[in-house]
Order: sequence, then C-alpha cells, then structure tokens
Amino acid sequence: MTASSAPEVAFGVLPRADGSARYSHAGYTVLASVNGPIEAQRRDEHAYEAHVDVIVRPAAGVGGTRERHLEAILQSSLSQLILIKNFPRCLIQIVLQVENSPENDYVNTKLVQASLNFALMPALIQTAILTLLSAGVPMRATATVTAIAISHDKTIIDPSPRDVETARSVHVLAFTSQDDLLLAESEGDFTVKEWDDVYETAKKICCRPAPDGAAMQLDDDESSAAVGPDLRQFLRSMMESKVAADLHWK
Amino acid sequence: MPRDHEPSLNEKQFVTQALQENLRLDGRELDQYRPLELRFGDQHGVAEVTLGKTKVLARATAELTVPYPDRPLDGIFTISTELSPMASPSFEVNRPTETEILLSRLLEKTVRRSGALDTESLCLVAGKQCWSVRVDVHVLSHDGNLTDAACVAVVAALRHFRRPDTSIAQGVLTVYTPAEREPVPLSWLHSPFCVTWSFFGEEGTTALLDATWLEEQVRVGSCTFSMNQHGEICQIAKLGGVPVDAVALLQCASVSLTRVKEISDLVDRRLAEDLKRRDKGGFMAELRAENDR
Amino acid sequence: MATKHHVVLPGEPIDPSLIPTHPKHPLRLGPGLRHIPPEDIVPTVAGQLITNPAKNSMWIEYNSNRYIPSQNDLVLAQILRSTSDFYLCSLSPHTAPATLPHLAFEAATKKTRPQLSPGQLVYARVSLANKHMDPELECVHPSTGKADGLGPITGPGCAFDVSLGFARRLLMARSREEGGVGVLEMLGGEEGGGLAFETAVGRNGRVWVGSESARTVVIVGRALQETDRLGLGLEGQRKLVKRLVREIK
Repeated sequence: MTASSAPEVAFGVLPRADGSARYSHAGYTVLASVNGPIEAQRRDEHAYEAHVDVIVRPAAGVGGTRERHLEAILQSSLSQLILIKNFPRCLIQIVLQVENSPENDYVNTKLVQASLNFALMPALIQTAILTLLSAGVPMRATATVTAIAISHDKTIIDPSPRDVETARSVHVLAFTSQDDLLLAESEGDFTVKEWDDVYETAKKICCRPAPDGAAMQLDDDESSAAVGPDLRQFLRSMMESKVAADLHWK
Repeated sequence: MPRDHEPSLNEKQFVTQALQENLRLDGRELDQYRPLELRFGDQHGVAEVTLGKTKVLARATAELTVPYPDRPLDGIFTISTELSPMASPSFEVNRPTETEILLSRLLEKTVRRSGALDTESLCLVAGKQCWSVRVDVHVLSHDGNLTDAACVAVVAALRHFRRPDTSIAQGVLTVYTPAEREPVPLSWLHSPFCVTWSFFGEEGTTALLDATWLEEQVRVGSCTFSMNQHGEICQIAKLGGVPVDAVALLQCASVSLTRVKEISDLVDRRLAEDLKRRDKGGFMAELRAENDR
Repeated sequence: MATKHHVVLPGEPIDPSLIPTHPKHPLRLGPGLRHIPPEDIVPTVAGQLITNPAKNSMWIEYNSNRYIPSQNDLVLAQILRSTSDFYLCSLSPHTAPATLPHLAFEAATKKTRPQLSPGQLVYARVSLANKHMDPELECVHPSTGKADGLGPITGPGCAFDVSLGFARRLLMARSREEGGVGVLEMLGGEEGGGLAFETAVGRNGRVWVGSESARTVVIVGRALQETDRLGLGLEGQRKLVKRLVREIK
C-alpha cells in the first residue's frame, strides 16, 4: 500500500441522497451523503441558523467516544464553512461512512471497539467538503486538509498507520480557499518550533497558488514531489468536470 | 421524530392499477431483478452490493475472545445491522425502526441459524480461546428490497474474508500477523440467499420480485424465502399482510430457486475474479511468503 | 449573452471584468451568489457563472436535488393534512411543510372549496418564500382569480422524481432550443408513435405524467428519468424514446 497515492473522487454514488461522494486518498476510502436543508428536530432547532449534524460511522464495530470526538471537530469546522444563517430552523445532515482504512500488517488489530485515528481526519473532512459541493449547499469557501506526523525529527506527510504509531506527534491542519487557518488539531509531544514548521509545511500543501503558465508549471512539478498532490487544484478540477457533466446541455 | 416520506395518493393508485396490467413503473417483468452488482474492497471481507438504487455494504472482521460458558466448543458469530441516516433522514442513530429489526432477524435466521458458517471451527482452545466473527451491515441507499441485497452482501463478505492464521504448540497459542503468515479463509458450509416476493391486489394475486421502495409502500403482503442453490430451504417468513394461496406460494418457491441459483453463480464468479486479481505474483509470491519465515 | 465557460467554486473571487455594467438597470444577482457589502460579489456554490449584460443580471447555473422554495415557482405539492384554514403540503421529503389556504383556489368560497385528502397532489405556485417562514402556496392567480392550469391533480397518472436542473430545463419556454430537452415532443410525435399524455412539471423536481393508458405513463416517466440520469443529448433522447416504445408492451 503506497501512502501517498493520488486522491480520487466519485460523485453521485448514492442516488437517493441530495449529495454524495466517495473519496479515497492515502489508503483511506470514505463515502459520504449530505441531506439538507431539511426540517430539524425540535431539540436541534435553532431560530437563526441551520444545525449541522455530522455522523461518523466506522467500517466495523460500533461508534464510540472517538467518533463523537471526530464528529464534534468536524461539526464546528464545517459550520464555519456552510452559510448556516441562510437556513434558520433547518438541519444539514452529513453522514460519513468509513469504508477502507490502510491496515498495519505488523499487528492484529482489536476490532470490537473501532479505533479511528488522526490520520483519518483529512479524508473525512475532504469527503465532507466534496459532498457538500455536490449537494449544492451554499458555502462561504472551500477548504483543503492535510495530516503531518513528526517522528525522529522527520516530517511525514499523509502518514500511514505505522507512521502514526511510531510518530512523536501528529497534526491535522485545514486551510480555507482564502488561505485562512480553519482547523488545527495536534496530538503528542512537540515544541513550538516544530508546530511552526508543521504550520508552514501544511500551508504549502494546502494553499498552493493556481499555476499561471508553463514556467510556473515546471516549478510546480519539482515542488510537488516534496509536498504531495496539489489538493486545491484537485478539488477544482474535480468540480469543473462535475459541473461540465451537469450542464452538458448548455 | 422525522416522519418518513409517504408516496402520494396518485402514485399509490397508479402502481396498483398498472400492476393489474402486469406493468411495473420501471418497465421490468414481474419476476425480474434489477441489475445486481457485487464489488469487493481492497481489504478482505468488504463487499458492496448494488441492486438498482439500493446499496448495501458488509464488512466482516474477527478477533480473539473467550467462548460463551454454555457453548465452550463454539466460536462466536454475530451480524450487526444498523440503518444510518445515510439511507434516509428518517432513520435515527441508536433508535432502531421496525425495518431494521425485521432485517436483522431475517439475516440472523438465514445465515446464522442455518449453519452457513461452521462455528465449531472458530474454537481454538475449548472453553478458553475462540474467534469472534462479526459482520457489520451498512445500508448506504434504500430503494426497496433491503433483505435480498443485504443477504448477498453478508454471504459474499464472509466468503471473501480471511482471518489470521494460528497454531498451537505445547499448549501455547500463536496468532500470526498478516506479515508473518497469509491469513486463512473461514470454514464455510453453504451459501443461503434470500428472495423476497411482494403481493399486490386485494387478494394478493399478483406476486412480484425485488420490489422498489415505492412498490414496498403499496404492497399488501410479502414473503421471504431463504434457500441455497441445492434447493434446501433455510426459512420462510411471511409476516402479516393478506393471506396468500398455498399453491401460489409453492409456485413462488420454485421460481425463487432459479433466482437463488443465478445469485449464487454471480457470487461465485465475482469471488473467482477477485482471487485472480489479488493473485498477481502467483506461485512465486507464495514461495516468497514461505521464505520469509 | 455571454456563454464562456466560467466554473466558480464557493468563495472564489469573480473577475471584475465579467460583472456586467449597465448604465440604467440595477445589477441583479441570481441563485448561487451573495453580496458582501460594500462591493464584493462571491459565489456560494460550485457551478457555471452566467451573465446577461442586456438585463444586467448574473447567476450561477448548477444542478442539485434539494428544492429551496422561491417565489413564483410552479411546484407539485403533496397534501399532508388539513387544518381549519389551510392545507399543509410537502414540497420535498423531510422539509418543513408549506401552507396552502383553503380559499386559494379558483372561485373557492367556504362552501365550494375543494376537499382534498392527504396524499393528493396539487399543482401550485409559491406565493411566499422567506427563510424565516414556512413557504406559502396558491392555486389561483391573485389578480385575475383564474386557475391558469393550477389546482388539484386528478385522473390516472403518476409522479416521477427528476433533478432540479432537469425540471428547470423542462419548464423553459423553448426547452428544446435552450434547455436541450426534446424528449416530450418526441414521445408525442413521430418517434414515440404519437403517445397521448399530459404533464405538470414542478420546479421542486417532480413531474406528473397523466394518460388513460398506463403503458404511456410508464414510457414517458422512464424516458424523463433516463434522460435526466444519463444526461442525454437530443440524439440520445431520440434513441431512448424509440427503444422504450419498442421494449415496453
């Protein structure tokens, strides 16, 4: 299993949902559906804005505290992106189903309590954003996410489960399309200096400027070997082809 | 509690009226299935079944545990079914609906109670150590006939699954990781499949296969046959609805057998294709695995 | 009309040269755009930016599945229940109900108003759409008092679900030239062997197809759904119509 395989996405996988996408990157495959805006239940109803409901479901076993934790992180970041004030008293429901996660061949994992880890988070957030775009839910901006692990003074982008296990610290950072920091979650031991480095690397990955011409393109190819696939460009080209397919009659 | 969406009166009337002329909304024959597709994941034990707009994902996993005290010689086998809001916003997390309970009961009866999986082979040390095999059924998209689709997914996932290899030497149990030894398949005895009939008309005279969600909302009764390709019936469930003529049911049973054979062939074919795809290195790769030890 | 292919994503800046500037008309923003004072115009959905300099308007063209009510849209609503003054109707599954006053029908009085049962379909116009209130519907033109084809849908037929973009194309005045859908004309014309049917297209992604013959309804419904799902062009639609007429007996 190659850790830095190119990201892939398929839209409209679930014909009965308002929006759906299956995204795979770095060995993780996540399927998501978005329904909304729909009527919120009384207890979730908010008079001025929509309630964003995120449900994370592990591939095997029942969800536990780890999933609730991920849901809470995702909910607060996605609420920043979605124009929730446009839909008072509504509910926007995002269900994320983990289908595949890379296996660690060197340990037999316990599975009754599914354990989701940090390395999964970029795939979850990216899938959620792609699905929201496919459902046509109004948003303030798009975002790109990356995970970085530090082990033995080496930074690893998109770490594999084995990397995460041996790493000293793991960080997940997301940036909006306006280059603002949307989310920063860290786990483990690290210094301020290390975090600053992680921030710079993540920003380089997530906020790469759109290539302007051939000269830029060349530069880009050299740097892309070091920092992985250009996520922002990927997001854009995928949406371009989806829009072109939707509006084939234009 | 979000209400489930009801079809309109116009739709209900039309479905019944068209069926009197043997017409279905999607132009299918009465005993015709929607296109059935089966796909395996990168990992062992992941199967996704697509039946028209219905989509079900099943995933099998295994872990070591202690057998139940009253059955010290048997391993543990569970099927867990949960309908998430992904299938429809009317399903809530941790609040099972009737559909969900009926689905899990039917799968339980068809796969577990019929002894499709040899649970004795899951026991490693009597009363002390055994495998617990668990299948999680995820309904991704619900457009009717969940039972048949879910059953194919469960059977395919279990037959595709590989558990870690073990050995016992001088009373010490060793479990090998995938890097040390190739995982082994489960001991599988037979493959039962479900075929669900829906009945229409005032006396349930019109019977059709693989009903869509709209048809399920309008039907007056249903009956699920579970059998394997040898025609051995595992269970028949007719839960409520209008009474149906016994001769008609016999007729349904014999048509079900041909459908089960078709499904069974498809699963066998897909499993063989997947094995071929994985077996890239062929014999040489296997030799290398031996050398690793 | 500018037809250049400009795909935009939420939050992306719009090239100022694309924004139409008309000396007289005020700038009109359509779906998918929002104005952040003082002078930023930002897309909120992923789609194609369309501008119309003659009318000084711009909007984002995109396809989705969830209907958000907007005033003057024609919709196919389903009655949920009746209260003392109005019917509660559903425009799409799981959304808040819309209200349809008992007296918003042609020549309706307290005594002559139509009695509708739950589950009945009505073809109606959205008379009020506001994010803070439940949408309101009417089956009568407010100034003329005429039904103009709106009202309860009766007679044999069935409703089919399509995407919102497809419903919009079906409702275009010249759907064949502008929207690229000729499937209905073909079904009623030579290719379909002159099937006789009527339709009511709701902007909420529901199309009702009515005909005395169940076969016709099934053919028309499938033709619509397949055209939408497969994204067929005019030639593809012609082939589809011929195949369906041949296959369904």
